[in-house]
Amino acid sequence: MDIFSNIFSYSIIHATIRMATPILLASIAVIITQKAGVLNVGIEGIMTMGAFTAIVVSSQTGSWLAAVLAAIAVGVFVACIISVAHLKFKADVFAVGMTINIFAISLSIFLLNSMFGIRGSFRPEDLAPLPKLTIPFLQSNEVLNSIFNNYGLLEIGAIVMVFGLRFFLNRTSGGLRLKSVGLNEMAAETAGIHIDRTKFMALVFSGVIGGLAGAHLSLGYANFFISSMVSGRGFMGIAAMFFSGGNPVISWLACLLFGFIDSTGSRLQAYGVPSEFVMMLPYITTIVVLSVSMWLRKRKSLLLASSVKTTGTHQLEDQKG
Amino acid sequence: MKKRYKIISILLIVVLCAAMSIGCAKSDPAPAPAPADSGSSEAAAPAEPAGDLSDIRVGFVASGMLGDKSFNDNVWSGLQKAEAEFGITIKALESNETADWDSNLVAMAEEGYDLIVTPSQLTETLTRIAGDYPDVKFAIIDAEVDAPNVASLIFAQNEGSFLVGAAAAIFTTAPDIEGVNPENTIGFIGGMDIPVIHDFLKGYEQGAKYVDPDITVLVSYIGTFNDPIKGKEIAEAQYSQGVDITYNLGATAGIGVLEAMEESGKFAIGGDVDEDSKYPGHVLISELKRTDVAAYEMAKAVVEGTFKGGLVAMNLENGGMGTTDMSVMKAALGDKFPEEIITTLADLRTKIMNKEIVVDHEEGFTV
Repeated sequence: MDIFSNIFSYSIIHATIRMATPILLASIAVIITQKAGVLNVGIEGIMTMGAFTAIVVSSQTGSWLAAVLAAIAVGVFVACIISVAHLKFKADVFAVGMTINIFAISLSIFLLNSMFGIRGSFRPEDLAPLPKLTIPFLQSNEVLNSIFNNYGLLEIGAIVMVFGLRFFLNRTSGGLRLKSVGLNEMAAETAGIHIDRTKFMALVFSGVIGGLAGAHLSLGYANFFISSMVSGRGFMGIAAMFFSGGNPVISWLACLLFGFIDSTGSRLQAYGVPSEFVMMLPYITTIVVLSVSMWLRKRKSLLLASSVKTTGTHQLEDQKG
Repeated sequence: MKKRYKIISILLIVVLCAAMSIGCAKSDPAPAPAPADSGSSEAAAPAEPAGDLSDIRVGFVASGMLGDKSFNDNVWSGLQKAEAEFGITIKALESNETADWDSNLVAMAEEGYDLIVTPSQLTETLTRIAGDYPDVKFAIIDAEVDAPNVASLIFAQNEGSFLVGAAAAIFTTAPDIEGVNPENTIGFIGGMDIPVIHDFLKGYEQGAKYVDPDITVLVSYIGTFNDPIKGKEIAEAQYSQGVDITYNLGATAGIGVLEAMEESGKFAIGGDVDEDSKYPGHVLISELKRTDVAAYEMAKAVVEGTFKGGLVAMNLENGGMGTTDMSVMKAALGDKFPEEIITTLADLRTKIMNKEIVVDHEEGFTV
């Protein structure tokens, strides 16, 4: 019982949110592009460059705000590269994205070495980290302090973004146009929507969020930079996006699930659960979650197909899935 | 349209190649300032090298990147010392991708390097290829490869870990130090769940239990040596479970462990390299695995033509293993520093060297 309470103690709540945030930000970034029919696998690269830019600017200017803005700018720049390659030159977005991911890691190593003569980890002394939000009167209680205090700006910001994105996608004309491009390009074009411009805007927006995600990694979650810092968190975000079928709120829940499994794993290990098993947990969860969501969606589309004879938008949505 | 495809694909290939060449870029052999302690006897009396030694090439295939301020950097600094002293040429091939390590090793062997230093992650590859390159000498750290041109450097990390384990066990019961909790629990964080880390663990647990048989040691593995954020999370988890001091063996991922330590006001033990002064007042002691000494000695043996294959022991007795003297922590804590640690450790050190205490080891990690 003592061990049980040690594993599932209140500190796991904060840990879950902390671990979910980078995945959630990545997931938000890819939901936007996915809705426009572009799978932005370059999100890892955008995050890497964002993280690098943020820490460099923060250490040079001493301003976290400047750092965040610079990270966004670089995120947008990288997204523009992807857009030009994919939209203008019709390159396969998967190939472009993977190239960007590998390139970003190498570029950050190269720049770190040529700008500061540093190899590996970069941990500047005079760093302006992202502010943490604290409610003073809760500090006196250890439990409440752990659960409600010391959240990074973007840990809260990401949750706000989830609902912002949901509103945008479902309640604004821009969001509906964006979705129509992803659902049926030809129909959208017939309706007078500029396809490439919409996709471009989606990618740019994804660059903004990706840049923020990067800044969160190097200035919020941790206060250092190493090139391998993103470590698959962008891909976890893509998995969460697929799981949710592009629904921001469900995607958020999926990210929380990943975060919870991961932080439980960290705590289980210390009590003799084999580390091999614990390290499998996030991946098993991903596979199970994806399989369940695919099965549910398939069932739904079968039901639809039997009730609606004509090829409706739902089926198209399923194909795009 | 077709043409555009062609152009973009050519561009992509160029970018990819550029990225790869940067990734595998030669680590610029910044002329390392010869360490002041490099034994002026040797430095002052250069053995009048017969001609130019710069065509003796020593390579290091890293299972990760330089800049980890740990294992890799340590090996590299040993080679840099050899470079400065003998004027040999050194080169490191780094990669975070497990898939690259094999090909990096083969590439260096194919290139005909005189000596190639590799970590234990490459044991299988080396076992397979050592025979194909009889003229290339290899030094493998932490593993045994049975071939005439391979020197297997076996470190007694269990001995160093025994000492720091004992130190942790005394420290966790120290009164009046802010951040030390009453719980009799210490932690151990390994990068990966691999035999060499188990060798550390065995010594650490034995050392801790030697001091206090009832102590609880929480053991966690990060699962990678390269993800510091995961390392931070693992450490946070341990610190929330009653651990006040943990043994950080995460290499690059360990950067996160130390950050978590500072943020939660707890303590840690440095692994493999001196981490005492990185966070003064937080790192009690560091276990020193002198891979730099090993790499340097191997390079020296090649230069002097005395290189021999077979097992090479690196332990407390011959200076291949050690610990820091805790002076940084002592300065930070002042009167509160438990003096008992220093006397106990000195005593244990002699006992290990006299074989009065036999430290447990993981199978295969002894000479």
